[in-house]
Amino acid sequence: MKQNVSWTYSSYRRKQTLRNWTVMLATFFCAYWAGISCKVDLDALRAGIPKGIEFISYLFPPDWTAFADMAMPALETILLAFLATVLGAFLSLFFGLAASSNIAPRWLRNLSRFLLATERSLPEIVILLLLISALGLGPFPGVIAMAFGCIGMLGRLFSDAIEEINPATLESIESVGARKLQVIAYGVLPQVLPSLLSNTIFRFEVNIRLSVLLGAVGAGGIGFQLYYSFQTLQYQRATTAILITLLLVFLSERLSNSIRKKLSQEAKL
Amino acid sequence: MNVSLDKQYLPSERYKRHAAYLSVLALVIIGLCTYFKFEPLLFITDFHYMADLVVEMTPPNFEVLWRKEKIFISILQTLSMAFLGTLVGSTVAMGLAFLAARNTTPHPTVGVIVRTLLAIERVIPSLVILLLFLIAVGLGPFAGMLSLAVGTVGMFGKLFANAIEGAEKEPIDAVYSVGASKLQVIRYAVMPQVLPSFIANLFYAFDINLRAAIGLGVFGGAGVGYEISMAMRLVRYRDALALICFTILLVFVVEKLSDWLRSRALGQDLLK
Amino acid sequence: MIEVRQITKSTKEGVPILKGISFTITKGEFVGILGPSGAGKTLTMRCLNGLTRPTSGEVLFTDHQNNLVNLTHAKGRELRKARRQIGVIFQGFNLVKRLSAIDNVMIGQLGRINLLRSLFYGFTDDEAMRALAVLEHLKIAHLAQRPVGSLSGGEQQRVAIARAIYQQPSVMLADEPIANLDPTNARKIMQILKPLAEQMPIIGVFHQPDLVMEFCTRIIALKDGVVVRDGDNKMTRSELIDLYGAELSEIEASQRILQPV
Repeated sequence: MKQNVSWTYSSYRRKQTLRNWTVMLATFFCAYWAGISCKVDLDALRAGIPKGIEFISYLFPPDWTAFADMAMPALETILLAFLATVLGAFLSLFFGLAASSNIAPRWLRNLSRFLLATERSLPEIVILLLLISALGLGPFPGVIAMAFGCIGMLGRLFSDAIEEINPATLESIESVGARKLQVIAYGVLPQVLPSLLSNTIFRFEVNIRLSVLLGAVGAGGIGFQLYYSFQTLQYQRATTAILITLLLVFLSERLSNSIRKKLSQEAKL
Repeated sequence: MNVSLDKQYLPSERYKRHAAYLSVLALVIIGLCTYFKFEPLLFITDFHYMADLVVEMTPPNFEVLWRKEKIFISILQTLSMAFLGTLVGSTVAMGLAFLAARNTTPHPTVGVIVRTLLAIERVIPSLVILLLFLIAVGLGPFAGMLSLAVGTVGMFGKLFANAIEGAEKEPIDAVYSVGASKLQVIRYAVMPQVLPSFIANLFYAFDINLRAAIGLGVFGGAGVGYEISMAMRLVRYRDALALICFTILLVFVVEKLSDWLRSRALGQDLLK
Repeated sequence: MIEVRQITKSTKEGVPILKGISFTITKGEFVGILGPSGAGKTLTMRCLNGLTRPTSGEVLFTDHQNNLVNLTHAKGRELRKARRQIGVIFQGFNLVKRLSAIDNVMIGQLGRINLLRSLFYGFTDDEAMRALAVLEHLKIAHLAQRPVGSLSGGEQQRVAIARAIYQQPSVMLADEPIANLDPTNARKIMQILKPLAEQMPIIGVFHQPDLVMEFCTRIIALKDGVVVRDGDNKMTRSELIDLYGAELSEIEASQRILQPV
């Protein structure tokens, strides 16, 4: 107990207080400068709140007649998200395999992990801007941009799931004389299928949200309607678009939650 | 042999079933694509446009990074938006979480109301929130920061509330039993339990908000996202590529840094 | 038939684990390999089907058609061809947990069937019925459609044996096949293996000297990477003490505790 002799409650307390103050001061310092660079203006906010509330009153009532116009864009948004998810999940399967240490050689694994990490640090909207300058406006670049986003996220999750597989299982399939592709088809895919599906469905939900943002830049769908209505000051029409968006997001969340709950029960085996 | 397989388990049946599922899926996709005049083959036939763009973009014009002061400021703005958005948003989220969680709420009705509000807030797209703030406080980083803060509240209010509800009941009872008030119980029994998950989520929120700050910048007229979109619109592709490379690096470094800070903070159980 | 000639194996740091092991296994034999932990039993087994390459020495394998394959140098196609002739049963069963028992059995033929067909799980009904027949032989046909992950240890090991039988190998390797099982199930697995040895030689690593003496036809004892005994299936108590040293009392104690009354 020799080392505890010098310990007293007050010195312990002092040390802790010092540490807390350092953290707090550092946070305040950062926040202060961040506030300056963000041009935080509380007066503007105070003045803005009534402006915002007044503006919200312009939004109502929603333009019910616009619902008919919005049906197709809404469907388009779902289609965009769906296609992007299918395409992205399919491609990310290959990236996921290439990024797993128990399937791919070391150099390929590190290269794939690096590519996936690079992709993840690039927001989808930047990818979309790139694609738009190459291919022009339209839903097509939107799908590709979202598919890229899928690859970054799902590829990483897939490879994490694949690396968790017991290597002895793969070895035992190899021991009957199976080839690498057969080992993947029989040892890897069935084991990761539930987590693969559940992540893909979660990504579909993310893509629905994302397609609103991407649509505004020019990928079409309900996001474009929303942004366009705002830009052309048709606020009540914009409200309709918002309501439809809320519905889409809400429904996709519900759907994904219920399917994933089922899948996680199955995965418990 | 007295045991046999169910018909649906015979390989031939299984094969047929899977083939049917796949062809239905393929038909749906093809049908939808043709309906929307959407041609995935475009990616192959139009690939030369992408190649052209790549040629136009290289080599990246890295000079733009230090020659223009504006760029430097825009990067700072992006970081600040993410930082302040996380700080303000998570502080509010923490407060609301204590109101929402069933074991700490001052009144069950308050809990239900807060939970409902959080649920509604969570489904509102970030773009709509941003557009509202743009109208309220005008174009610029402030609007972006506010919408990030609101987004963070939605994202983490529920998460925090769940963490609080997941706190063990025994220590709470123990602190109550010495005659502590509700606030004291929160301070001495609940906070120590949920703080690690709060801190971990704080850093997680910052990572997400940094990416969102770049994305929202395109609309909000501030930050590095805006600069990238301007460079693209002005057909200065080489500048754009330099900015993109820098953005990737920035996100990469910040993520590593926040990982490191988080593991330190959690390791030392800071702020206890 | 399998012939092992003077195989050695060292770790990356150069520490020798196997120090020249030789033996030959012929038709009709049920060989039990005994030895204290760290003797190199599992490593020897891994060398026998090419999962590990020995540092020196050779493993020669003669298949049904009297083709001689040198497993030490075989690569790719040749190695796969040899492996499909060698059935392996593992201690941890190593089955694909989310696939059904019958699918796991049919994995045994992957080395034989067309690659493209196999990638789409394109088995024929005949193959499924044959797999079912093997499962029935092992008295677990009623579990054929259940995911393997939901079966008990003894049942899983039976599925693994079914996979090895379905593979139609000319020799069977068993790496501690009963180590994870309770005594009743361990005995039942040995009772399954015993008649099987008449069709194909079985080489197994075991930790239970009494079961080995009861069921095997030949005992090879390994210690510190060398063969210290190779002969019939009777070992005296003093021989066992020489082999295991202090470990013997642990083995006996665990068997006494687990012994069914």
